[in-house]
Amino acid sequence: MKRMLVAFMVLAALISLSPQEGKAIPAFARKYGFNCNMCHVSFTRLNDFGQRFRLNGYQVPGQQGLEKNVFETPPPIAFRITTGLQAAHSRDANTSGFNIFGFDLLTAGVLHKDISYLVIYTPRVDEPGGDYRGETPSQTGALESANLIFSNLLTDALNLRIGKFEPAYHTVSSKRSYYIIQPYEVYAFKSPSGYIFEDNQMGFEVSGHFRNGFRYGAGVVNGNGANPDNNKFKDLYLALSQVIGRGEGQSAGQRIDVFGYQGWQPTIFPPDYQAAAGGELEGHGNKKLMRLGGDISLNIPSFNLTTLLMQGNDNRPFNFADSTKDYKFTGGFVELDYYGFMNNRLLISGMYNWVEPPDGDEGSKITAISGVVRYYLGDWTAVNVALHGEYTHRQEGKDDPFKEDIFTALVDFDF
Amino acid sequence: MLMSKIVPVLLLLLVTLFLPKLGISQDNQQIAPLTSAQALLRGPERVGNLNPVMIPADNSQTAEKILLGKKLYFDTRLSNDNTISCATCHDPQKGWSDDGPTSSGIRGQLGGRRSPPVSNSAYSPLQFWDGRAPSLEEQAKGPIANPIEMGNTHEAMLKTVDNIPGYVEEFKNVFGTSPITIDQVAQAIAAYERTIVTTDSPFDRFIRGDEASLTALEKKGLEIFNGKGRCTACHWGGGNFSDGRFHNLGVMPAAGAKPDEGRYDVTKDPRDKGKFKTPTIRDVALRAPYLHNGTEKNLESLVELYNKGGGMNDANLDPIMIPLNLSKKESEALVAFMKRAMSSTNLPVANEEPFKPEDLPR
Repeated sequence: MKRMLVAFMVLAALISLSPQEGKAIPAFARKYGFNCNMCHVSFTRLNDFGQRFRLNGYQVPGQQGLEKNVFETPPPIAFRITTGLQAAHSRDANTSGFNIFGFDLLTAGVLHKDISYLVIYTPRVDEPGGDYRGETPSQTGALESANLIFSNLLTDALNLRIGKFEPAYHTVSSKRSYYIIQPYEVYAFKSPSGYIFEDNQMGFEVSGHFRNGFRYGAGVVNGNGANPDNNKFKDLYLALSQVIGRGEGQSAGQRIDVFGYQGWQPTIFPPDYQAAAGGELEGHGNKKLMRLGGDISLNIPSFNLTTLLMQGNDNRPFNFADSTKDYKFTGGFVELDYYGFMNNRLLISGMYNWVEPPDGDEGSKITAISGVVRYYLGDWTAVNVALHGEYTHRQEGKDDPFKEDIFTALVDFDF
Repeated sequence: MLMSKIVPVLLLLLVTLFLPKLGISQDNQQIAPLTSAQALLRGPERVGNLNPVMIPADNSQTAEKILLGKKLYFDTRLSNDNTISCATCHDPQKGWSDDGPTSSGIRGQLGGRRSPPVSNSAYSPLQFWDGRAPSLEEQAKGPIANPIEMGNTHEAMLKTVDNIPGYVEEFKNVFGTSPITIDQVAQAIAAYERTIVTTDSPFDRFIRGDEASLTALEKKGLEIFNGKGRCTACHWGGGNFSDGRFHNLGVMPAAGAKPDEGRYDVTKDPRDKGKFKTPTIRDVALRAPYLHNGTEKNLESLVELYNKGGGMNDANLDPIMIPLNLSKKESEALVAFMKRAMSSTNLPVANEEPFKPEDLPR
């Protein structure tokens, strides 16, 4: 019984490692009659056209005002489902099982010239067999994104997003990563402050993009996902990008990004405090946290190399190991993607992840080597089916680290 | 519990989506033409035949009017020196265009732009490369009075036509009034041009269910066309493969030519500088050289221009001009698709026999 319990916990933990649901939105493809590769290098990563489409409030760049709105198009609803087999091996357990790794309902579209919206809903799933991402057998529902976009308040230079959204400091989008199981570890890393870089945030963001390749994004957010914020200080961020050459640095042009985030989280909690994931429902004594980082995205035909480096700093009161020092950690990843076959039907990717925590918290040290092979069965209008194989060797801890090998074979489809 | 309800629904949706692909329930009967809205919302792989041409309320199609328009279209007497007809620059044998790179008018004068195809022009909301004519009727009036093209005046042309008894009789039959007016001439020519619809290409047969009508390479080309090549970002909007809109591709001026402001000449909006109308892809193989000034000699070099993300660094370059990273094989597939799969074979439009001078009204 105990062995089964351990196995179950390991499996649940592994499944919980798949928080980054890549987002492709076939509702757009249906609207225009496009194939997925119009906006994606290979779905789910946006190509440069897709990136500009997103930056332009889900309107074809240069064509705003000529767009059909959601009332003139088919129902702007899309589904994405990832399901398959996962096998994991660690010193504690060998597990395998079929799972649903993701199920998203997406709706997005243009409401009026330069006014558009995006909603991504992850429905509640009760059955343990259908459980994914949750740490308990029941998957709670979540509004992963729900935002309104006002585009071109100043042509290209000023756009506004309000609601819950993927913030601009995700200069490399984990939501549209090819890695379904293995996250960008430094994004998912839960430091003592409880702030998780990867989470979508609630608030508002202004952004702009310019013909010389410069982009900016700045925002004010709660800093704790969709949970209520209990302090008077809102979190602030700024992200700057520069692309050299034509493109957005997704598959054309070379891009360099820098980003910074400053937030506050409580340090003192009531005795009966129940922590909410990424939240700060109760508590006071808010202290500062910062994230600083940068990345480069280099492209040559058929290849993309992306590397990101980030430093995190939580104020001393958060540092359970040594409260005389700030809790400082570094982390990042290097990802190399190769696209093969006609119309990028084949993707092969390799990635190295690391997180280096401060002295005293060596148990949180993470290294992971991962690989992905995806083959797209076809490139049809608004339908995509990918066969996805993913492997990760992950170590957590410094001395006698917890090692695990995770194999996943799944079908990833959206329509 | 929820999953038990969701899964059957999803399976049903999947079966609905994939049965046609598996060929299980698809009948091979002709698919009825789609409405324009339906065509727009489907990709090229699933669009039906070209929609019927829209006929303006004030210029109905009659057999007599179309025939009259055809005679006028091939009649060089509409020009100042009796040397140029509409068909001179919009030749059925040359994809309803000419050899280019730009068109020659009376006395060998060279125009600054390539002759746009008349075929399927009925589907364009605006006419000419810069969209200065809102209808085929208005377009038809333009070249007659253009000093470089037919070099005539409307008055002189009407005098000529009015002095040809055969035309006078036909105009009276068609319009029931006299004297002949420039509007009647334009209406007759436009009525004829609305019949010049090129269809029944291998692509059209493919989407009607004839899998063998495209080669494997052409099928790949179609996939590139609507995918990595991003061609349908502009060359779509229904079965005519054009959005009817205006784009700046960063096209270099031809050697010795002045920069062409394109759509800006009409709107005077600085954002329209260097923009030209998206031409149809249908029968594109017949229309080399390409672009508004004929500066791309063949389809291969045209695809390479797009593959590089457009031409020169124009401040007004369309934001959708981004390098495509097409491999050599992908470019070849794309060219193969455009070269043969988009070539129409419907008779008589594809092999229109011009009127011989002796068959024209006297």
